[in-house]
Amino acid sequence: MYRKFTILAAALFLLQAAGPGVAQAPIEEELNLITPVAKTLTDPTLADFAKYAKEKWNITVKTSALAAGTPVAYGQIVEWKGRPQVDIFWGGESALFDKLAEQNLLAKLTLPKDVIDAVPVSIGKPMPIPLKDPKGFWTGTVLEPYGLVYHPKVLARLGVPEPKDWDDLLNPKLKGHIAQCAPTRSSSSHATYEVILQRDGDDKGWEWIRHLGGNTGLFTARSRDVPSVVAKGEFAAGFAVPSYMAFEDRLAGFDIKFVAPKTAWITPEPIAVLAGARHPKAAMMFIEYLLSERGQRVAMERGVFPITPKYRVQGAPGSTAEMAVEFTGGMRSYFDREVTNIYEDDKAQKRYAEVNEKFRKEVESVIEDLKKKY
Amino acid sequence: MNRLRLSLTPAAFGYGLIWTFLIVFVLFPLTRIFYDAFTNEAGGFTLANFLEFFTDSFYLRSFWKSMVLGVVTVFTTSVIGIAVAFLIVRYDFPYRNLFSYLTMLPMILPPLVGVLGFVFILGRAGTLNVLLMDWFGLEHPVNFMYGMQGVLLVETVHLFPLMTMSILDALAKVDPSLEEAAQGVGAKGFRRFRDITLPLTTPGYVSGALLVFIWTFADFLTPLVLGVQDLLAPQAYLNIVQFVDRRIFRMGIVISALLVILAIVFVIAARQYVAIKDYSSLAYSKVERIQLGPVKRWLAVGFLGLLMLICFIPQVGVLLASVGRGWALTPFPEHYTLEFFRAVSIETPKFIINSLLFCGLALLMCLVIGVPMAWVMGRTRAPGRDTMDALTTLILAIPGTALGIAYVRAFNFPLPFIDIPLTGMWIILPLVLVVRRLPYTVRASLSSLQLVHQSMEEAAANVGATRLRTFWDITVPLIWKGIFVGALFSFITSLQEASATIFLTLGGWEMIPFGIFTFYIAGSQSQAAALGVILIVLCALCLYAVNRVAGTRVGGLFG
Repeated sequence: MYRKFTILAAALFLLQAAGPGVAQAPIEEELNLITPVAKTLTDPTLADFAKYAKEKWNITVKTSALAAGTPVAYGQIVEWKGRPQVDIFWGGESALFDKLAEQNLLAKLTLPKDVIDAVPVSIGKPMPIPLKDPKGFWTGTVLEPYGLVYHPKVLARLGVPEPKDWDDLLNPKLKGHIAQCAPTRSSSSHATYEVILQRDGDDKGWEWIRHLGGNTGLFTARSRDVPSVVAKGEFAAGFAVPSYMAFEDRLAGFDIKFVAPKTAWITPEPIAVLAGARHPKAAMMFIEYLLSERGQRVAMERGVFPITPKYRVQGAPGSTAEMAVEFTGGMRSYFDREVTNIYEDDKAQKRYAEVNEKFRKEVESVIEDLKKKY
Repeated sequence: MNRLRLSLTPAAFGYGLIWTFLIVFVLFPLTRIFYDAFTNEAGGFTLANFLEFFTDSFYLRSFWKSMVLGVVTVFTTSVIGIAVAFLIVRYDFPYRNLFSYLTMLPMILPPLVGVLGFVFILGRAGTLNVLLMDWFGLEHPVNFMYGMQGVLLVETVHLFPLMTMSILDALAKVDPSLEEAAQGVGAKGFRRFRDITLPLTTPGYVSGALLVFIWTFADFLTPLVLGVQDLLAPQAYLNIVQFVDRRIFRMGIVISALLVILAIVFVIAARQYVAIKDYSSLAYSKVERIQLGPVKRWLAVGFLGLLMLICFIPQVGVLLASVGRGWALTPFPEHYTLEFFRAVSIETPKFIINSLLFCGLALLMCLVIGVPMAWVMGRTRAPGRDTMDALTTLILAIPGTALGIAYVRAFNFPLPFIDIPLTGMWIILPLVLVVRRLPYTVRASLSSLQLVHQSMEEAAANVGATRLRTFWDITVPLIWKGIFVGALFSFITSLQEASATIFLTLGGWEMIPFGIFTFYIAGSQSQAAALGVILIVLCALCLYAVNRVAGTRVGGLFG
């Protein structure tokens, strides 16, 4: 009995001694995200990353993604105060990432030089959209526009032509048939309202926003609900929808269409490792994977565009990649063409609360009056 | 009469443990949200938050609309609930037993699933509108769902069984001799109902009404799906899930605190009323059922059949959505598939596993804590038992939203030694479930305990049985049915719980309702529907067991 114990103790000791060797494993066996990016993009990339890790290091990584809207995720990270329960924040506005970095809540990226250099500094004119952080706390992962969605069958029944630009949503025949999410709840909606305000100036811009309010039949609780209700045919058109969310509904077999007006805001879906993350190596490797051709290809299958000019959305005829190209109007890469951007993020971030408050007062609180007025 | 003496006996120690549990997991988190609600960012005491609430026209409108919705829902559920209860207790007609089971079923509509099911059938592109447009050339769809009318419909269908069950319990306890006596002195029909039956069933009714009111008041998912955001619960939820604007965030907490305050006020008011009017005898009486005439009996069946038809709209809608692919703008899905069921069960079994695991744990804890609590209330004069009694009623009334938020605020500090906050450990989910659902176990155990005459226990004690032995050999066999029903009820309602757990769930801990919620917000309504169907089937089986064991007498749970 006693001998067995000694052997056991010796074995335990050996295991302990082997400890440092284990700790030098290339990555940890777990990886957790907090993300506003929908499951349909996070699940396939995480699953393929786990496969990649198994192939490359023979390590089984347990992954999970905590779904949370951009503001919620941001708030949650602030609440964690540097003791995060997840490793990575993925998606949302780059300005929020800058704010987190200022609060020392992000860890600096340690990506190989060629990987990070493949991501251009910015895209778009006259206002460049930053695609990575000059200070190195975050990088963009994919490109995707916030556009509008519609259901062709419902529009045909209403006798309304298919919309091409934001202004087409103000068509009086669409009254009560539009779904949108308030900018207080949705970052895509907030950004798109800023596009309108910066395009038209404050007075005209707010008049436009009130007018859209009068045409709105449903304010959804989250931006993801907007394409859902349009896909189902519950509403005819939806405002400020990320392309890949609408594409998921298309993949699910719904007859939904997407269009990105010329002024549509394009997000680079930034990603960062949280300071104090429990699995920093796995986190960094995931980002590296996401920027690799393999990761980019998996993402492209879901209706987003590559973050680097190195790749273009391309697949066999009938593949989901080709479906995505058709769905987003034939484009294969944002680097193939001139990108117009009139949205100035600094301006938007400075008056973030102000715009929300004004929307609440002048649209949400008086929605019944707006419906009568327009 | 036995008395529990407060010396340091094991019993007293156990009693202390129960109190510790209640203080740590009920009172402490609640004080935390009150602290948040009455302080400013700097931590100083202030009433400014409430002042802001009561001077903001949007919040005020939310407040009044919530009140009106609650009152109207109590009215609609009363009309239906009372009619059903009377039919089932007092009259005999074909399929009576079947209906007594079926009328309980709408209650197990999981959050979100109910409203989604309704939208699939009655939405603007739902089956009914599509048929109206395709067959009758209707140009614009009829708006059955989006707005207050839709919320009222969903809440009424979901909650009338609570009313039925509360009244059933009260009615079954009314001694028929009282009514016969009234008849004997010439009081008939309405007069007899007004003077005898009504007052006797009032306590049951009041507790049912209170529950319906608070449930409606606290439900945020239904209004959100239907685009109604100017109600208190959706405002609390929406304000809290956005953390960026700290002021709006604090207003969310203020609204949750307000929900708790209102719940407390309603409970106190209801208890005052019930305490004064509790004349009902404790025993269930044998009720002679009246045979209905040939026309009336089929009228009864017709009424209940029609009611069930409306009640099962959501189930039908959810079932169709769970097997239909790309279902839009046709009366029924055109492509059928089982892929969604496979996706939510075989490919990701965690939802079902977590649900059974956490709810099973919660069930065990409910029994360990709840049965002794009932015993203390029913059989001892231990100090503090009245407070405990009041506390169980209060727990029932606390909106889940508020409790979830209270937990997030209160337990987010690293615990000593292990250095992880409670909010970072999965055990917090079973814990919050226990707190939420404990009252059902306590109430059901207590009400069956009250039906057991103490003389039996005393007889056992006289022949030398120890207290524990008496409890085990005499009391338990007599009350196990009540405990079983209460515990199973705690289990069913835990399975369906979403309002508190949504705020506390982290990756890997997802239970079925959270899965429904995440699939829904990820736009995968079919997967959400498939999980919903699984949950409904699970709960229906449990409810069937309840029905077999207890018949229709599962009231008394909600006092």
